[in-house]
Amino acid sequence: MKKVVDVSLPIGPIHPCFKEPCRIKCETSGERVLTTEVELGYVKKGIEKIMIGRPWQETIFLAERVCGICSVVHNTVIVEALEEISGITVSRRAKILRIILNELDRIQSHLLANYSYCYTIEHETLAMYLLNLRETAMDSIEMMTGTRVMSAYIVPGGVREDLSDENAAKILEATYTLETELKRYVKMFETGPMIALRSKGIGVLSAEDALASGVVGPTARANGLPRDAREADPLYHELGWHMILRTESDNFARIMLRFQELFQSVNIIRNGLAALEPGKIRNGGEMKAGRVKHTVEAPRGDLTYDIEIDSAGQVVFVSIQTPSIPNIEVASHAMMKNLASVADVTSTFISADPCIACAER
Amino acid sequence: MTVLQKLKNAVRKRSIHVCYVNTGSCNGCDIEILACLAPKYDIEQYGIYVHNNPREADVILVTGGMSTQWLDKLPDLWDRVPEPKAVVTIGNCPISGCVFNRPGKLIDPPVSKYIPVTAAVPGCPPRPSEIISAILGAADILFKDYEIHQKEKKGGSHK
Repeated sequence: MKKVVDVSLPIGPIHPCFKEPCRIKCETSGERVLTTEVELGYVKKGIEKIMIGRPWQETIFLAERVCGICSVVHNTVIVEALEEISGITVSRRAKILRIILNELDRIQSHLLANYSYCYTIEHETLAMYLLNLRETAMDSIEMMTGTRVMSAYIVPGGVREDLSDENAAKILEATYTLETELKRYVKMFETGPMIALRSKGIGVLSAEDALASGVVGPTARANGLPRDAREADPLYHELGWHMILRTESDNFARIMLRFQELFQSVNIIRNGLAALEPGKIRNGGEMKAGRVKHTVEAPRGDLTYDIEIDSAGQVVFVSIQTPSIPNIEVASHAMMKNLASVADVTSTFISADPCIACAER
Repeated sequence: MTVLQKLKNAVRKRSIHVCYVNTGSCNGCDIEILACLAPKYDIEQYGIYVHNNPREADVILVTGGMSTQWLDKLPDLWDRVPEPKAVVTIGNCPISGCVFNRPGKLIDPPVSKYIPVTAAVPGCPPRPSEIISAILGAADILFKDYEIHQKEKKGGSHK
């Protein structure tokens, strides 16, 4: 059958809806969007290439700068990989502090994703509410680590700084602020008739496509696929983690799933603060040569580092597999297919929470 | 100074349209620019509007250290920005390339090689308050009596 295409419409690379540069080429027939193609390559820096041949101490800082939004999880996964190579143990207090910081990072990342979505469907009021709430999480991160972004808090053997009791009390207070405010905003999102018109039944990812594409993170869990790397960590189970799944698999489900995960993260932080016992925050150890593949759940899905270190402490090989790669692919090929309107292209793309800097590195 | 010029100065001071261009940053600086939009910092109370459209921008915020794809696109984008215009770079990357300026890199800093840079805010990433003060500081100097300065520069011929 001959395909009738009216206009090939480019969106981007600089577009009000995008935080980062990327280009979406849409083939349209009237207002209907037939197919889309995502063109990347605007923020390629070659981080893996830079890492090779450098001492492992430097790669920690480089790994953090793969992505600014989820810098904490990149820091966590490379440090945990290095610890796994050398057999360095981490005390329980340091482990819980890592989890608290990771969940705070997840809160700010999910809030930023939902802000972007609300901004894209032009519900600016809710978007600004969410962005303001994100500052509460950012203040907690700053209180804990000393800086807002790129904290370098997690070091081999533990964490850099201890959390004082008064700061712990302030973070506990912030979780209550987050929870009460979030309840209001989730109700606004869930019951808003206009939001439902722009979200429900749009950007549906079919079960076959989801299985075939290897989609990860909240995008997979909104499709009913139980994919979460936190499942393998017994400490997370102890702190009250459980798998959250939704089955609608449209834009609405993906955003609502992030809201539900926010409540869970708040809960994990509270349980973590309650479970903190006094103890050492940093253990010593000796770096050894070896190769390891380590996976941690980032805000967007499974983040894997495959890293090899030689006996001189230099990185011989490194490969980073970020969650945004499958999520962007599935967004462009399966979700943004046969959409009713061009306006749905950006909102569907943002609902998958693509992080271009992560995907290109 | 004419009345018209005074009016222009007064209006421009409270109406600065901003477009941010990510030329290979890790988006750490970009989310700090986004944080300026939040009601906590409230960039719009100073009359700064983030539109992210180069064709209606006064100030271009550049983050990142010039990846290969942007080498020809950024000067092109700069040409499309209407006068008066200015560039403020955010973060270490546009100045020096920061941690990415090592063997094996795919970036080519500094940004000032390609477009004229008015102000630079160092930091990895800088705080939102620093970004706001940099935009306000640069815009004040640049856009005040713009037409008079242009006239002097061109030797009396007014465009």
